[in-house]
Amino acid sequence: MLLEARGITKAFGSFKAVDDASVTLEQGDILGLIGPNGAGKSTFFNCLTGDLKATSGRVLFGGRDITDFTPELRAELGLARTFQVPQTFEGMTVLENVMIGAFLRSSHRAEAETKAHAVLERVGMSRLAEASARSLGTPGRKRLEIARALATEPKVLLLDEAMAGLNANEVKLAIDLVRDIHRSGITLVIVEHIMEVIMSLASRVMVFHQGKEIARGSPREVTSNPAVIAAYLGTRAAKAAAGHTPIELMGGPLT
Amino acid sequence: MRRLLWLSVVAAVAIAYPLLLSSPFQQRLGALVLLYAIAASAWNIVGGYAGQVSVGHVVFFGCGAYAAMGSYAKFGLSPLFGIPGGIVLAVVLAAIVGVPTLRLSGHYFSMATIAVAETMRLIVTNTDYLGAAVGLSGPTVPRNIFDLSFLSSLPYYYLFLVILAITLLITWWMANSRMGFYLRAIKDSERAARSLGAPASRTKLYAFMLSAALTSVAGALYAMMFGFVDPESGLGILISVKILIMAALGGAGLLFGPLVGAAILVPLEEISNSWLGGKGAGLTFVVYGAIIVLIARFQPGGILSLFKRRGKPGVDTGASHAP
Repeated sequence: MLLEARGITKAFGSFKAVDDASVTLEQGDILGLIGPNGAGKSTFFNCLTGDLKATSGRVLFGGRDITDFTPELRAELGLARTFQVPQTFEGMTVLENVMIGAFLRSSHRAEAETKAHAVLERVGMSRLAEASARSLGTPGRKRLEIARALATEPKVLLLDEAMAGLNANEVKLAIDLVRDIHRSGITLVIVEHIMEVIMSLASRVMVFHQGKEIARGSPREVTSNPAVIAAYLGTRAAKAAAGHTPIELMGGPLT
Repeated sequence: MRRLLWLSVVAAVAIAYPLLLSSPFQQRLGALVLLYAIAASAWNIVGGYAGQVSVGHVVFFGCGAYAAMGSYAKFGLSPLFGIPGGIVLAVVLAAIVGVPTLRLSGHYFSMATIAVAETMRLIVTNTDYLGAAVGLSGPTVPRNIFDLSFLSSLPYYYLFLVILAITLLITWWMANSRMGFYLRAIKDSERAARSLGAPASRTKLYAFMLSAALTSVAGALYAMMFGFVDPESGLGILISVKILIMAALGGAGLLFGPLVGAAILVPLEEISNSWLGGKGAGLTFVVYGAIIVLIARFQPGGILSLFKRRGKPGVDTGASHAP
């Protein structure tokens, strides 16, 4: 077991954004977290990375309780993440952005620089190394986030909507990159809205709705689950989809 | 290469200045520029690189000034012996103040530092041991060279030049190390920096302590040159403001920014003081206020940022040449 969350609850006042969610992640998994907007998947994600402190529940990494660890300590253990809204270091070049990640494992500047160059090569951004990070658009920033996280040499990489805002072609390239990262032995957790991404990448999927886990399984199992369809499209559509077309759907029973 | 050339030119000018412009007024002016450049460069480490705008840095300045004068007034030693004491005092104080306040962001941090500085000034003003409102004096007549009490400003000028060079060297080394990179990252996005393993609180605290130590040295030098320290000259909030404005005007977060700022503002203040006499002191701060507004409105990066080499404007092809 690489990463495990046990009974995570995150309450903001009396509102429970995440209610008793648990998950286990094995080496080599690609876990997809899906759910409608406001379902609590990002909150859950942030409890795993340490950006938010869970109200109750434990997070374990490699069997070690990391619930009270700061984000930087989790990074040191091998947990890396990207942000939904890219948190680019605007005042730096692309290379320097990646160096910040590389500095985690190499304290010397020259060493970090060499490593950052290698990571940029890997994600196909070498040509932009000296460009100001400010000059990047959304696709570049999303890719830079991934590069930066990779430079920390993570065991688990958590991607928070890494493909949001990309066009179809860019999504395809990003999927290739994620596959490549996975092949190199990194376990992944992805929060994603784009179903196509989840379907083609995730080995297991967990569905959130109103802070609770409502389904889990393979992408195929989950997408045919009536509860999931209901969460996304409403109960009526779910019933329709399940083949139990109720008479009300056609305007109610004739009287 | 071009950088090295510029550096040599600046160094040559700095070394030759008091010999070329050798009137006592000009030499004193030069020494003051360097002194404030030291203090502003020290502030720059935390205010510029780390982006934590301290308005209470005079506290550390005061640590140095009081330690230097205290070592003479209380123990009959050369003020020089006070420097290490002042550094220790400033670093300890920075740790105590920094742990709770560095968590605060933006204006809240600035306000907390003002509160600390003003509290300290009031405490010292009411402490008889530290001379209360009158302050402490250094040696009136130098007993030997180690008292560093000179009539001419020339020895001070070269002493300050050496200390400034050391301060800039430390800053340069820091900026190019992991610490400097982490500070810049934390300034841009603390959350992202932490997610990449940068220990934000610890890094900022170290920067604060380093900055405090260097500021304390500036305070000690100031007291030695003027031969005394009182709560106003050693702990007055306006010194904090002066230091801050110099760094911001020249370019906060840039190595030579504070020096440029000091080279502009110190002569401005000295000249307006000598023209207007006592009445000019008030006017200087009116000018400072105007400068704050102008920097904030037109060039938040400071004067030097106009000349800063920018990264190549990249064409955003981030996703178009994937592996």
